[in-house]
Amino acid sequence: MTSEISTSDVLPMKMDDLFIIHLDDQTRLACLKDKTLLESLEAHQVEVHFQCREGFCGACRTKLIEGQVDYLTDPLAFIDDDEILPCCCVAKSDLKLKLGG
Amino acid sequence: MKYTTFNQQSTNPLVEPMFFGNPVNVARYDQQKHQIFEKLIEKQISFFWRPEEVDVSKDRVDFQKLSEPEKHIFISNLKYQTLLDSVQGRSPNIAFLPIVSLPELETWVETWSFFETIHSRSYTHILRNLFADPSAVFEDIVLNEEIKRRATDISKYYDDLIFATQVWQTQGEGVHLVDGQTVTINQRELKKKLFLCMNSVNALEAIRFYVSFACTFAFAERELMEGNSKIIRLIARDEALHLSSTQHILNLWAKGKDDPEMASIAEECHDEARAIFMNAVEQEKQWATYLFQHGSMIGLNKDILCQYVEFIANHRMAAIGLDTPFEVKSNPLPWMNNYLNSDNVQVAPQESEISSYLVGQIDSEVSGDDFGDFDL
Repeated sequence: MTSEISTSDVLPMKMDDLFIIHLDDQTRLACLKDKTLLESLEAHQVEVHFQCREGFCGACRTKLIEGQVDYLTDPLAFIDDDEILPCCCVAKSDLKLKLGG
Repeated sequence: MKYTTFNQQSTNPLVEPMFFGNPVNVARYDQQKHQIFEKLIEKQISFFWRPEEVDVSKDRVDFQKLSEPEKHIFISNLKYQTLLDSVQGRSPNIAFLPIVSLPELETWVETWSFFETIHSRSYTHILRNLFADPSAVFEDIVLNEEIKRRATDISKYYDDLIFATQVWQTQGEGVHLVDGQTVTINQRELKKKLFLCMNSVNALEAIRFYVSFACTFAFAERELMEGNSKIIRLIARDEALHLSSTQHILNLWAKGKDDPEMASIAEECHDEARAIFMNAVEQEKQWATYLFQHGSMIGLNKDILCQYVEFIANHRMAAIGLDTPFEVKSNPLPWMNNYLNSDNVQVAPQESEISSYLVGQIDSEVSGDDFGDFDL
């Protein structure tokens, strides 16, 4: 599993500190528990549209297919039941996302 | 139904629809049918700012250095934004307050409109700094054909709803003769007008500001007109919140989480609502053509600006359950995000964190030492 995580800079850390984000069948990314999901995605150069980074503009709206997230601030932008705002949440488990939807 | 400023009948605001239920009586916020509006009010109030806090004096020197085409771009955008906020500073109040039925939504509409008046005041602040007498700029807003054409489209849906509501509240449902014209008033027609109006407001908040924003921030990228850019940043932050509220209202309707009749109207008027959005996109592209008719500015041209309009249109149409008709996949103006990011909107710490700076703020922490020199 470890070899499929695409960043080398997170390898020295214990696996306990990471969750895995699945973007599609090929792409798996390491996600730090203390970073917002948006920051984790950006660290892997994944382009996610964003504006306010505070949960009220809704620009980063993303479909969550599997997994759980915790919000750091209450999301004020409209999101559907199966959507999340990566700018203001952290992963609580491994995640399966659908970007650019 | 006649409007009353204090409905003396007992109502339960937790089961009222957002609009066209009983008029609101007690302004209470301890319980909410739709919590989101209470949260938006709190967020919006926390964003409070005054145009005078932003120093725009350096902009005057910068403005003199701009080329003629650039001056045209800058001033035209200010005129257009002045129009938009003139409409938004009053229309949500006049159109929505007479028909609103939830206290939290009523107060959100008032808070929203109030912030639009701050925006209007900031345009005067900017223009007074640039010109000894800014009258010519303001007067041109009702003469300029390009602006007038947009004004017609923006105010049309509001005016329709306001007129129908007035007839309904004074004469009730039925067929009425008003100024020689036959007007049919019934609940469903009123709700349709409300639905289309809300779509038009949503398109306004979603699309119409962004061509001007892009130009302003393109100047700021060259370190020009930075005072103006600081103000526009604060405005953009507010507008994102306003957009969120119209998206919530439209989705609550469409998903049947409010008035079931509005859900069926949303379905029935889907194509018309989409056309309102597409028309706003088209008008914004035409506006970009008008802005750049005398020449481009460094870092921005008509084509890239039109692509940006399409890019955000895709996102904003998806947010209200419409299709994404445009090809653009990635953001053609990535630097825009640096200006739309609220982390970069400067807040003085004494205004947000340290309780002793805040007027009326109480620090509720009491330690044992506080009673050290206290004798009975």
